[in-house]
Amino acid sequence: MIIILWNVVTVVIISLILTILLILAEYFFANYGDCKITINNKKEIIVKGGGNLLSALAENKVFIPSACGGRGSCGFCKVKVLDGGGPLLPTEKPYLNDSEIKDNVRLSCQIKIRQDISINIPEELFNIKKFKAKIIEIINYTYDIKGVTFKLIEPDYIEFKAGQYMQLEAPGYAKSKQSVSRAYSISSIPEQHNTIQLIIRKVPEGICTTWVHEYMKEGDIVNLTGPFGDFYIRDTDADMIFIAGGSGKAPIKSMLEYLDNNKSKRKMTYFFGARTKKDLYLTEYMQEFEKSLEDFTYVPILSAPEDNDDWSGKKGYIPTYIKDYLRDSANTEAYLCGSPGMIAAVEKELIALKIPKEKIYYDSFG
Amino acid sequence: MKLDPFEQKIIDKMQPGVLSLSGFLGKDNRHLHEIIEDDFNKLKSLNKTQEDIADRLSFFTDKSKDMIEDYIIIDDKYQVFQEVYRGLVLCPFNHKGTFKKAIIKLINIEKNIEIQWTPLNIHMIKEHCFFEGKGSHYRFEPEIIINAIF
Repeated sequence: MIIILWNVVTVVIISLILTILLILAEYFFANYGDCKITINNKKEIIVKGGGNLLSALAENKVFIPSACGGRGSCGFCKVKVLDGGGPLLPTEKPYLNDSEIKDNVRLSCQIKIRQDISINIPEELFNIKKFKAKIIEIINYTYDIKGVTFKLIEPDYIEFKAGQYMQLEAPGYAKSKQSVSRAYSISSIPEQHNTIQLIIRKVPEGICTTWVHEYMKEGDIVNLTGPFGDFYIRDTDADMIFIAGGSGKAPIKSMLEYLDNNKSKRKMTYFFGARTKKDLYLTEYMQEFEKSLEDFTYVPILSAPEDNDDWSGKKGYIPTYIKDYLRDSANTEAYLCGSPGMIAAVEKELIALKIPKEKIYYDSFG
Repeated sequence: MKLDPFEQKIIDKMQPGVLSLSGFLGKDNRHLHEIIEDDFNKLKSLNKTQEDIADRLSFFTDKSKDMIEDYIIIDDKYQVFQEVYRGLVLCPFNHKGTFKKAIIKLINIEKNIEIQWTPLNIHMIKEHCFFEGKGSHYRFEPEIIINAIF
């Protein structure tokens, strides 16, 4: 009995000693103290060392794009490191090409902050903010597309270009225990600085879109981050062609509202592709622009109208109709939003119609 | 069967709500190794490889990607429609890179068989012989897929 007791006491004492040693080791070897992050040689932030660069920047309201939440599996969170950052890790190499490696581009989620570090990021990332917002309106546009309007609470002011997108954070719910963020184009006018609308199509098995379509309610408070993206209207007097279907209408709606508000006199045509009549939405709204804008034509085209659709409009493949609306190919800009395949196919057709490649702009879904 | 930490990470990523709403294992009680091995043996008995299937699915995926809200008929026999959504999908097996968020639906008009898959499915079939667990949203039995696409 005494022997058993003695053994127990010995084990407890050894465990205590080991625990104390671990605590001391962590304090002395893992405590990196305060570290300075210098961004673009102008902004400096002081952080506690030990965490990763992506998180440290986000905590200081500098948001680097990431599709995987910092888990090192998307390769989006690239920054150029000017000084510090430690050696390139094997976990980063698969996401970097030779030129990037030579240029010291790194994945910010993989850089552990152990010392001062100096980085370069695109200037537009400074405009990205995290917003707390309230859902004030949910509209069912079609059986699988909703328009959701958010009133910004903190901060309550946003600046963005028509064509950009936001990351919406869906909270944990039902089967999905952790929050996820997904990107959706802004569909409202940039001049409205305290509310934004997103158009969201339900994705089968989608975590965020299932929450939007089945759980989200007016009055809910959510987080939004943005604005992101380089799809925007070029400030010229060139004619404009828009091509987008489904939820790709979102950035185009924002662009048209902007152009309308600014009384643009440019010649514009929007080709909206859908399968059947039930996939059409905001048709009357687009037709209103035909009255308010000096030279705008809305062209919905159904690829497979059903018999009972009673559709007398255009049918088939969008590119076959473009030439009928072209005035001066050399002075035409095209704005496309959709899948990479659709964009590549349409771009080829537009180039064949002599629209300059450098005047074709797109927002690709993938 | 005890899992090593790497395998456990994969299983964790396959759970509902992590990378997709319902996850990748469905209602399957088998171990991940068993799911893969059973499907591998099934393919062997049907004289097909995972590469055969993945390459054929890739063929249909590639043929349908240029369409704008429309299906394409291939070889007068296959009606294929590809729906693409904004965003990217990650592989639960921790492979690098991302996969297009798309759903490809195929109808074999002659045999009246309909199946669907995602670009991630093609990758998981080719690299891991993983068709997802039974009861999972995008699982089709290998024999049904083979019957539909060949």
